[in-house]
Amino acid sequence: MLELSNLTRRYDGFAFGPVDLSVGDEVLSVLGPSGSGKTTFLSLIAGIVDPDAGTISLDGQSLVGRSLEERKTGIVFQHGALFPHMTARENVAYAATDRSRIDELADLLEVRDVLDRRPPTLSGGEKQRVALARTLAADPDALLLDEPLSSLDAPIRRRLRDELHRMFASLDIPVIYVTHDQRTATALGDRIAIIRDGGLEQVGPPEDVLKRPESRFVARFTGNENLFDATVTARDGESVTVRIEDLTLRSSADAPVGSSVTACVHPSRVRLDAEALRDGSGRDGPTREENVLAGTVDRWLNEGDEYRVSVDVDAASTSLSVAVPPHTFERLSVEQSSSVRVAVPADAVHLVP
Amino acid sequence: MLPTRSRTDTAVERFDWLSVTFLLGAVLLCYYLVPLLSLIVGQPLDVVVGRMGSPAVASAAATSLTASLASATIATTFGVPLAYWLARADGRVKTLVTALVVLPLVLPPIVSGMVLLTVVGPETLLGRVAAAGGVSLTRSIVGVVLAQTFVASPFVVVTAKAAFESVDRSLEYASRSLGKGRLTTFRRVTLPLAWPGILAGITLAFARSIGEFGATIMLAYYPRTMPVQIWVSFTTLGLKNAFPVAVILVGVAVATLVVLNALGTNPLE
Repeated sequence: MLELSNLTRRYDGFAFGPVDLSVGDEVLSVLGPSGSGKTTFLSLIAGIVDPDAGTISLDGQSLVGRSLEERKTGIVFQHGALFPHMTARENVAYAATDRSRIDELADLLEVRDVLDRRPPTLSGGEKQRVALARTLAADPDALLLDEPLSSLDAPIRRRLRDELHRMFASLDIPVIYVTHDQRTATALGDRIAIIRDGGLEQVGPPEDVLKRPESRFVARFTGNENLFDATVTARDGESVTVRIEDLTLRSSADAPVGSSVTACVHPSRVRLDAEALRDGSGRDGPTREENVLAGTVDRWLNEGDEYRVSVDVDAASTSLSVAVPPHTFERLSVEQSSSVRVAVPADAVHLVP
Repeated sequence: MLPTRSRTDTAVERFDWLSVTFLLGAVLLCYYLVPLLSLIVGQPLDVVVGRMGSPAVASAAATSLTASLASATIATTFGVPLAYWLARADGRVKTLVTALVVLPLVLPPIVSGMVLLTVVGPETLLGRVAAAGGVSLTRSIVGVVLAQTFVASPFVVVTAKAAFESVDRSLEYASRSLGKGRLTTFRRVTLPLAWPGILAGITLAFARSIGEFGATIMLAYYPRTMPVQIWVSFTTLGLKNAFPVAVILVGVAVATLVVLNALGTNPLE
């Protein structure tokens, strides 16, 4: 168990913390934009920088005041930080508390065939595998990773992410994985901590953080491109009605009537309505389960694994970003200026106070 | 617009920019090479070899080599730690200390000698204490070493500092987070990676010591080093007699350069 309490560090023009957080034997993804304090967060735990205030303890032992070498907090750097004058094997052996584990770790991380090569000749993915093997060889009590996948090409990143997911599950120590990539954070983390300007904005399981962001920042950073200023106009049973200009939306979130809120709709939860496209006879207006809105396609962008379609909503001066899977996009033959209807499930309309 | 640009590109191609820079630089290269060759070609080999055998020259060569080895050793012992500290420290103190280290490099050597005399001269406190202990800080090989160290040690500090700075700090953090202490980290990670640069600094300091004249002559006219011997030959016997000794010194300098180049080849590059 890694426990941080009131952890604070001030720099010229930047302040980290105070942060309070407990990390059990789980993977915590720390997600935030560049400059939000992610690296400072790891550096404080690893002992690379000292806090101005607060405590850090690992398995009940205080780490503050202890040097890096005494902490047993293994850290994997962004580019691996392998010792370039040693072969991959020598790198792992350098750290190994038990030499017999070198081959075992090499097998686990699939680097056995590159053990006799020097780091400059290794690919980005191989470097990170060796770096991880080296860190694990030292038998750390906590594992800290500083964006180890960020410099890798997308296919390798995806594969390694998959392997890391399985490997982390076999470790019974706190793992803190820092990244600015929401997909990596979601895929790897048992919990996600969103960090902004040196402070934690929200901590929780990926499902919660993605579906129920507690602030506009978290909503935007987790991909909620559709953020609207709204007023709660009615409340009945399990849902509320919110008003955005002339547009009325049903939301299964809860908020007091009359309050001003931000309505967040994730593009992946909006559906382009095929019926509406074909004959123009789609339903209009909110129902209990779903909001169906009329609009016009403003523009679209092919993002590879999906299309991002921007729809101008008729009832408001706003547009709605919709993620459309390629097969749907092709089936509907979406074109610019075509009239469409979009369906927004009531439980996809999240309200941030 | 386009045609103009295209003409410019063609002109640049025809007037190959790299060749221009080389031609300009070649003027300077000739200025280095021609006098050196003319010095060496102008001195019959038997005369040079003969002078090497003369007791005065042999003794000067021995003094120069011994003192230079000693100064390079002292410069390394104290300069490498200082270089490491400078490479890892931050703030204004670092800037001030770096300026202080560079000072002997920009000071005219003869002034360096005078500066040293105010501290280690025979009439100074330090000079008298040392003399009482039987050690003369001037007019002795100790004086030669003191002069050479003052003038040449900055090369070790400056070069080693750059070498340490080129070692990524995250490598040190990685090593320490793997449970290795500062000393092990320095010995097994930092030092091996910075070593080619440090060695280059030591070699430069050695070369500078071999050639040191201005500060040395202020502190120790005796025992004569090679440069002092050349100067003595020149003032007493004339230029003609100084040339063969100069050739020997050129030989030592070239040998140093060869060693420097061999060491400068970083196997990691």
